[in-house]
Amino acid sequence: MTIDDMSSQERPRKHDDARHRFSATLDEIRAGMVRMGSMVVENTRRAGEVILENRLDVANEVRAADEEVNKAYAHLEALSFETLARQQPVARDLRFLVATTRILYELERSGDLAVNCAQIVENLDGLPDSPRLTGLLARILDEACSLFARSIDALAELDSSAGERLDREDDVVDDLVSRLYTQVGLESDAIGLETAVALSRLGRFLERIADHAVNIGENIAFIVTAEFPGDTHAAMRDEQ
Amino acid sequence: MTTDGAEESTMPENEVPNMTQADAVPTQTPGVASRRSASRVNVEVRATETPGAAAPEVVMATEGMEVYYGNFRAVNPVDLDIRAREITALIGPSGCGKSTVLRSFNRMNDLIAGARVTGMVRYHGEDIYAPGIDPVEIRRRIGMVFQKPNPFPKSVYENIAFGPKIGGFKGSMDDMVEESLQKAALWDEVKDKLQGSAFALSGGQQQRLCIARAIATSPDVLLMDEPCSALDPIATLRIEELMFELKEDYSIVIVTHNMQQAARVSDRTAFFNVDVQENGMRTGQLVEFDETGRLFTNPSDPATEGYITGRFG
Repeated sequence: MTIDDMSSQERPRKHDDARHRFSATLDEIRAGMVRMGSMVVENTRRAGEVILENRLDVANEVRAADEEVNKAYAHLEALSFETLARQQPVARDLRFLVATTRILYELERSGDLAVNCAQIVENLDGLPDSPRLTGLLARILDEACSLFARSIDALAELDSSAGERLDREDDVVDDLVSRLYTQVGLESDAIGLETAVALSRLGRFLERIADHAVNIGENIAFIVTAEFPGDTHAAMRDEQ
Repeated sequence: MTTDGAEESTMPENEVPNMTQADAVPTQTPGVASRRSASRVNVEVRATETPGAAAPEVVMATEGMEVYYGNFRAVNPVDLDIRAREITALIGPSGCGKSTVLRSFNRMNDLIAGARVTGMVRYHGEDIYAPGIDPVEIRRRIGMVFQKPNPFPKSVYENIAFGPKIGGFKGSMDDMVEESLQKAALWDEVKDKLQGSAFALSGGQQQRLCIARAIATSPDVLLMDEPCSALDPIATLRIEELMFELKEDYSIVIVTHNMQQAARVSDRTAFFNVDVQENGMRTGQLVEFDETGRLFTNPSDPATEGYITGRFG
């Protein structure tokens, strides 16, 4: 599905589209964001190897991969900026390009969080041997990655229902993270204060990645419907 | 003013001087410091090229070009490079000299009594105002499309065939007509009414017919003087898409009042402004010439920013 095929209003078919170059640029920007999102998902999974398998050597790969995310960000931001300046977008084209600026921020920030997660484990020189803590982290990682991947699928499909759906599904991550906090509290004497703080931050960062996925979903809804889910701006729904 | 096509009918092809055909040697603009210049504004040329990249091919270049109407200088010295297979837009308020500059590129000003061009206008390195240069041949190589679609009162077919026929075209006229109409993205719409009057076409189709007519004489530069100002928005966008396709083969210079159009279609944009002198005379002045993306996101001259943001002064 391309931006031309959005269900609410039919756009002219390609050969009738008097601005097919402009449409092609919008498609290029969206495809670029989808690629960038896939890179973030992949890199968060890579950070997961560092966390769960104590693969400290992989941390450098995580950092290197985030450089690619940053490059994609810079390129797509410049492209959408110039497109805004030169193509006088209106209606859904305008909504798409404004939402692009926000989505790019969510993607870039999520990439940074994956790096932060790897760095926490690196600084700790590995996580404590606690099956309950490791098990919770594994589930948080899995849910956060899968939520993020679904937000990228929704971006590829311009699925306006993603906004509310991802917000509901994010409750699972929030719930797991508060269980992690509780468990960290229970084991804090055994693992030590420094490790307890580090594990809490790890949980917090993964929770934030999932929150960014929810924001992406809400911006997709804005592109398609001109409204944020529940008529509330994404930033205001963000529980910081 | 007569059209370029009508003008051609008066001059046989065999009087054509030795305009070099395809040896597109990049023209290096020499320094113009020694040239008498009343220009008070120094056009800043920003370094936008990647170091080490091959110099872009320049198809036309002006060096200290001034245009006079009698004793009145209409345009202050202009230094402008037109790059091959790019779209160059000339924008600016009324009276800024942009159309005058455009008409100097194919000697259309010759047709205005008292008009005179000084300085240098080069086409593939050759001075088009040099003695012995045939303006008709210049206009065949450097075609023009006007503000109002101006097809001849003839059939669609004859509109295209006219110029080449006068020029002694040998080959299949049918193929030539089809190819020109194809290139102008008009063939599918007119292939069943080639013998019908050109005036039966819509405004947008007539303008594309005029583009096809300009193409038919095998130019490599197309000058467009407000080609869309008489068209509705959709017809305008179709012409813009067509320009984008044409730039694979042609170098295009477009004058437009519509700065959004310049932003959409052009690779490089020149902004002209009106320079009001002490005696009240209003002279056109090239203010800034840069990549279009940069000019519309971060212009270097406050006058450019004032104009493109709609805040004059």
